[in-house]
Formats: sequence, C-alpha cells, structure tokens
Amino acid sequence: MMMMSTPSSTLTPPDVKPMQGVSVEKGFDTNDLVVNIGPQHPSTHGVLRLITTLNGEVVKDMEPVIGYLHRSKEKMAESRSLFQYQPTIDRVEYLSSFYDHLAFVNCVEKIAGLGVPKRVEYIRMITLELNRITSHLLWFGTFLLDLGASTPFFWAFRDREEVFTLFEKLTGARMMYNYYRFGGVNADLPSGWLNEVRKFIDDFPRRLDEYEAVATKNPIVLDRTIGQGILTKETCLQFGVTGPALRAAGYAADLRKTNPYSCYNEVEFEVPVATEADTYARYVVRVQEMRESLKIIRQCIDNIPGGDGGELGLLKAKVDEATKAKKKDPTIEVPAWNSDWDMFGKKINLLTYKPPAGEASVFVESPRGVLGCYMVTDGTPKAARVKWRGASFSNLSCLPALMKGHMYSDLMAIFGSLDVIMPEVDR
Amino acid sequence: MNAENNPSSSPASSASTPEVAVPQAVPAGFFGAYLASKGIAVENLGSDATGMEQIRLTAENALPAAEALKHHPDSPMDLLLSVAGVDLLTHRESVYHVQSILSSQFLIIKIAANEKDEAPSLFAVWPAVDWHEREAFDLYGIVYQGHPDLRRILMPTYWEGFPLRKDYKQEDPRLVWNNR
Repeated sequence: MMMMSTPSSTLTPPDVKPMQGVSVEKGFDTNDLVVNIGPQHPSTHGVLRLITTLNGEVVKDMEPVIGYLHRSKEKMAESRSLFQYQPTIDRVEYLSSFYDHLAFVNCVEKIAGLGVPKRVEYIRMITLELNRITSHLLWFGTFLLDLGASTPFFWAFRDREEVFTLFEKLTGARMMYNYYRFGGVNADLPSGWLNEVRKFIDDFPRRLDEYEAVATKNPIVLDRTIGQGILTKETCLQFGVTGPALRAAGYAADLRKTNPYSCYNEVEFEVPVATEADTYARYVVRVQEMRESLKIIRQCIDNIPGGDGGELGLLKAKVDEATKAKKKDPTIEVPAWNSDWDMFGKKINLLTYKPPAGEASVFVESPRGVLGCYMVTDGTPKAARVKWRGASFSNLSCLPALMKGHMYSDLMAIFGSLDVIMPEVDR
Repeated sequence: MNAENNPSSSPASSASTPEVAVPQAVPAGFFGAYLASKGIAVENLGSDATGMEQIRLTAENALPAAEALKHHPDSPMDLLLSVAGVDLLTHRESVYHVQSILSSQFLIIKIAANEKDEAPSLFAVWPAVDWHEREAFDLYGIVYQGHPDLRRILMPTYWEGFPLRKDYKQEDPRLVWNNR
C-alpha cells in the first residue's frame, strides 16, 4: 500500500472541503490514509461502501455508507393490496426469502385470526429449514472464498443447487418462491417430494463432514479466524446484533426455542452455542446449525400429517368418489378422512382479501438473526404500514466498532463472518 | 460406541449452560404495572394481535421509563430490535420493539412526535437505536432530540422530503404511482 512519507502533523486546508468520513474537529493526520472500499467490491456481498481511515495497515476508523440497494419495499406495501405485495417480499432478502414470507403471512394471520392447519405448518418448517441450509451454504462458500479458498465455494454451490431443484419442484421457482399464503400454502406437496428431501438429508451429512474435514481444522483457516473480530455479549447488545453472532458470544438466544412459532415446539433440536465470540466461533455455530436443521427436517418428514402429497391426493379423490356414491348406495364405506380444512386449510379469495384493522409484530429466527415484520392494517386491502426489521441492518452497524484496531487484510474475514446481505440492509 | 463419549466434530459445545429462559406467561400490563410501581405513569395500550404488550410514553417520561425497563429485575429489556416510524395523518409516531435476552419477553413502546415532529431519542439508554432512528428520520422526518448523529441513511444526502409520509408526492409526471 502506498503511503505518504510526510511527517505527522495536523492541518485542515481552509479552501478544500473535507472528505466525508474525515472529522474536521479531530484534525487531519497526514499519516492517515482514507480508502474507499466499495460500493463495487467483490467481497462486500452486494453494494456497500466503507469509508475506511487507515493508519498504516491498521483500521483506525470506518463508516459504512448504505442505501445503494434501497428499493422502497416499505413504500411499495402502501400502494398495493397485500396479495399483490407478496411477490415483492422475496426481494427483501433473496437468500432466505421463505423467512420474510413467514413473518409477513403470520402478521396477516394474527391480525385476521386465521387458523393454520398443522400439515401446512409442517410444510412450512421443512421449507424454512431447507432454506436455512442453502443460506448457510452460500455463506460457507463465500466466507471461505474471502479467506482465499475457492474449492469449498463450488462444493457449497453444488449442494445448494440440489436444494434449489427441490424448491423448484415445490414452488416453481429456484429463489423467488412466493409460496406461502394467508392460512396456507400455494399448493400441496408434489408426489414423491418428501422422498427426495429424505434422500438429500441422508446424503448431505456425509458431504458436510467432507467439507469440515477440509475447512474446519485447516491451519490457514484457524490462523485467520481464531481470536479475530471478537464480538462480546456487551457489544452485541449495544448494537442489537442477533443470530449466530449472538449465539457465538454465549447466549442461547434462538426464537425457535424461546418464543416458538409454527410447530417448533413439537420438534427436538439443540441450539449451538459457543463462548469464544470470535470469527471462528461464528463459523462453527453456523456449521452446527446446518446439522440441527437436518434433524428438524427429518422429524418433520416423519411426523407430517397426511404424509406424501401424491398419496394424500389419491386418498382425497377416493373420499370424494365414495361420498358421492354413498348418496345413492348407503352401504358404501367412506375411507377415514379428517376434513379438508385439516389438510389444506381454509380457502380464501386472495384478490379481494381484506384483513380487519389491527397491528401485529412477528419476529422469526432467520439464518442471519431476528427478522421482524411490523404491520398496521386499516381495514382496506392495502397495509397502512409494513416495517421490515432485517437482521443484517443491525449486524452491519457493529462493523466499525468491531474493526477498530484490526489489520486491513482481516476486514473481509471479519465482515464475512457476520453474514451480512445488503438487500436486507437497504430493503 | 457410547454416544456420550463420541467427540463432536467441532469444538462448539451445545451443552454449555444456556443463559436464556423460555418466557413465562406474564399477566397483562406487566411492564405498565412495573413502571407504575416506579412512579412513572404510562398509558397502557393493551396487547396487539400477537400478544405483545404495548405502552405509550410521553416526551417527558420516555428516558426515565426506558432506563427503568432496561434495569427491570426479572426481565431486563436489553435488546433493542427495531424502531419504526408510523404516519398517523394527525401526527407521527415512533414504535420501538424491545426484547429481554434473559426472559425473552417482547415489549412495544410508542412515542408520539409533537407538531414540530420532535421526539426524544432513546440513544442514551439503548445505543442500538442509532441507525434505526436515523432511518425513521430519513423516511418520516421525525427529529430525535439527543441523537448524536442524526442524518439521512438510506436516501441520498441531497434528497428533499420524507418519502414514507402519507402526503409525500414527487412532482414528476412520469411517475404514475402518485395517483394510486
């Protein structure tokens, strides 16, 4: 890095407007070098600009500049009906968009008092946890890419693609799912889908072991991560940091355990916790979370009411036929069938759907931390206010405090370990 | 092989003592009653559709009440989750969502801005409001008194007007959504 060799002195040129990020009061130390990182930088995971003041190679001060991806998602909610707004939610956070949909749909369900059948909750849980795996896999690949390892990136993307194929069979889209509906889901499981998921979760732990054998104990990874970027409990609370970063600091704070939504109180899983609070602890917590997600998916597949979608459809057809025939011939037996509501939920006309006036705040545990949706409705088909609480927004705000005193070359390793995604920051 | 002796593939121990308790059901108006016992009268707004308690604070009692809530003996509200501005046409309001890490209870605090769109900043109690209050200022024009660094965060610095206000219009005939 080039550095000016002028002696250390403080001066403020009177005719030159100071650059953003340079404090006039503190004076401008000529030993300091202001470097703009981004907005177009391969390691910022989106468009993020970091105005960094360097002293030699040590980060002295840093100011994140955000808003490059601001697409006014909250304003858009006020000019569309709730159903018309739903497809745009996928773009709030496109790596784990099932979570945004869950928060949004739960808000409407709570305001309107809509019940959700258990089968639907189980379908939602399977998709949510598969989505957590794809999101963590992308983080796994790009984080190691930031550290200089390129092979895990391709491995992670290969496995992500398998889950995306499953999602495509279910929802019709690889990344922008738009699958949940108020009080239900868009369509029932396709025939044989659960078996394909089971095949994936049977096979995936073996591959995860392989990745861990290469990366987790790799001496280069250990050197770059252990003891770096320590984010203590106090700093987490000071900046509102949640998710794996908070769990790596020693708090077992997971809304799936502490404030269960969906049917998370019916499945058994553990919350991975570490106490070291450094970059490596965050890495380990995320990899462990993928294994816990597999556990949840396995229990959901075993216990889902109604079972496979194809068989359920055949049973439903038989029940309908027998019910019709029973009207003419009372001796015909109708197969056991709870009710349509138990399996598929209540049918509502989404195009004209109006929830009553009310307020709801729903917080769910997304792969990056606490994701919240705060909704105010006024009895019209449109929402009066939709506020997204993205986990990345708060997690990014701690970066200057985290980076102070660290080497410039550790920036991307530490920033990558926070798993910040810019569309969720800017919305 | 004994499952208990099976070493985990990674050093993170999920068996370490969790510091988080599953929330106990608390009576309605739990935090309002606590503040009343501290001599701070707050307006109780009941529960919202999700069952979270809502209280309204005034500009005068906002800071002492927030300080008292942060040091609640059983469920210290230490994690600030979000600050949402809301335009109610008559006035604007900030909605704070806070959570207790220890007891996992949620609380919603509403503070109305006055006719000059001024509201007290809770930065002194929860430093996490920094970016969130900047966002509410950026989009609603609520001026938080006592915020150390109140400037635009999402919109460009040269932007005029506050886009999420209900009466916000952009004077550009090509934009059709003004009439929606």
